[in-house]
Amino acid sequence: MITVSSLLDDHWYERYRKISKLNIRSSIYDVTDRCNLRCKGCFFFSSGEHEAASEEKDLGKWHVFVENEMARGVNLAILIGGEPTLCLDRIEAFYKRLPTFCATNGLIKVPRDRFPDMMVGLSLWGDEKDEKILRGQDTFKISSANYEGDPHAYYLYTITPKQLGKTEKIIKKITDVGLKVHMQLLSNDEGVDGFSWKPDELVAVRAEMDDMLDKYPRTVISSKYYHEIITTGVMLGRSFGWMECPSVTEPIDKRSPRPKRLTNFIRWASDLRTMHRCCTSETRDCSTCKDGAAHMSWVMVNKRAHIKTTEDLRNWIEVYEMFAKLYQFIPW
Amino acid sequence: MTTDINQTITQITEIIINELKLEDVTPQTFDPDLDLVDEVGIDSMDLATIALVLRDVYGIRIEEDDYPKLTTVRIIAEYIDNKLTSGE
Repeated sequence: MITVSSLLDDHWYERYRKISKLNIRSSIYDVTDRCNLRCKGCFFFSSGEHEAASEEKDLGKWHVFVENEMARGVNLAILIGGEPTLCLDRIEAFYKRLPTFCATNGLIKVPRDRFPDMMVGLSLWGDEKDEKILRGQDTFKISSANYEGDPHAYYLYTITPKQLGKTEKIIKKITDVGLKVHMQLLSNDEGVDGFSWKPDELVAVRAEMDDMLDKYPRTVISSKYYHEIITTGVMLGRSFGWMECPSVTEPIDKRSPRPKRLTNFIRWASDLRTMHRCCTSETRDCSTCKDGAAHMSWVMVNKRAHIKTTEDLRNWIEVYEMFAKLYQFIPW
Repeated sequence: MTTDINQTITQITEIIINELKLEDVTPQTFDPDLDLVDEVGIDSMDLATIALVLRDVYGIRIEEDDYPKLTTVRIIAEYIDNKLTSGE
């Protein structure tokens, strides 16, 4: 039988041991149905999720809800939108009790006296030109001013096909404001002209992501295996899709055979009762989904499938470490 | 007692090998003191799967809070043995 230590030298085995017992159990929460932007390609609005439920306005119910989530075993709250920072009291209901990550467009600064070490993910969809096309304004100008040098914030850079050849400019800008960056790919749910990926573009963007990781290892939080998985949609010869996705809401997961998946994962709507299908758009074609977290999780839940060769297991470790860094389970 | 625990160890090992489809190992060659997480690479979902089978086989419930301490087959066997002895 192949054991972990038989595949790893002391350095890698120590890295493995630091993450092997973390047992991260995340769920995702829509904090509000509202946003202060309306971005083309934002799945929350394009798939009508902002109308799926009416947000709970009683703050006391949010506190009770979070307590119940903890009792369910959740140990990482991932807060998404609408725009969570429009409802700081609701964020606080999570933050007071749980390791909490807040995704935001960065236009509103999370007050650090109230949320001193909450990890903040700042969405960024490209350079000034793309941001204006897709989001109506250059958010970087504001978000970078709000979060410059913040050790508990990083950019979630959604790369679009239009960004090919231009990612270094963005990575440099992020480096210059003293922040980290994690890269993912646009899924173009609204079919904006010119923003859907072509096969040759996916090959090119993978090479560019690898290059950015090599050139800016202190800024870019990523791994080349993640780049491979997200651009090809293939892991260990298996193709990503509905029958492989680990991030399906568990109570409504009727798949058979049930794939390896996130334990107890639910994506809750802001009424605290409605459950969305998965971590991203319900209307998205799973076979072309480019969701970064889903692909990361896909690797993470398939650990034993990677205990075959030294290279496979090292790849798994790097992806798990990346996830653990992004959600503050291990330091940068 | 020793015979019982050894039988339990063998049964649990068979269950783990079958449920996790472990290759190139038999209940006789599997080291009951091998760390299941650090060496075999099982995760909480694997443990949950094994716990369900153990519940059916032994009629005992393994609390989810206990998963982190069930790190080897021998420890699982002793855990089950204690539960059966105490009638929980």
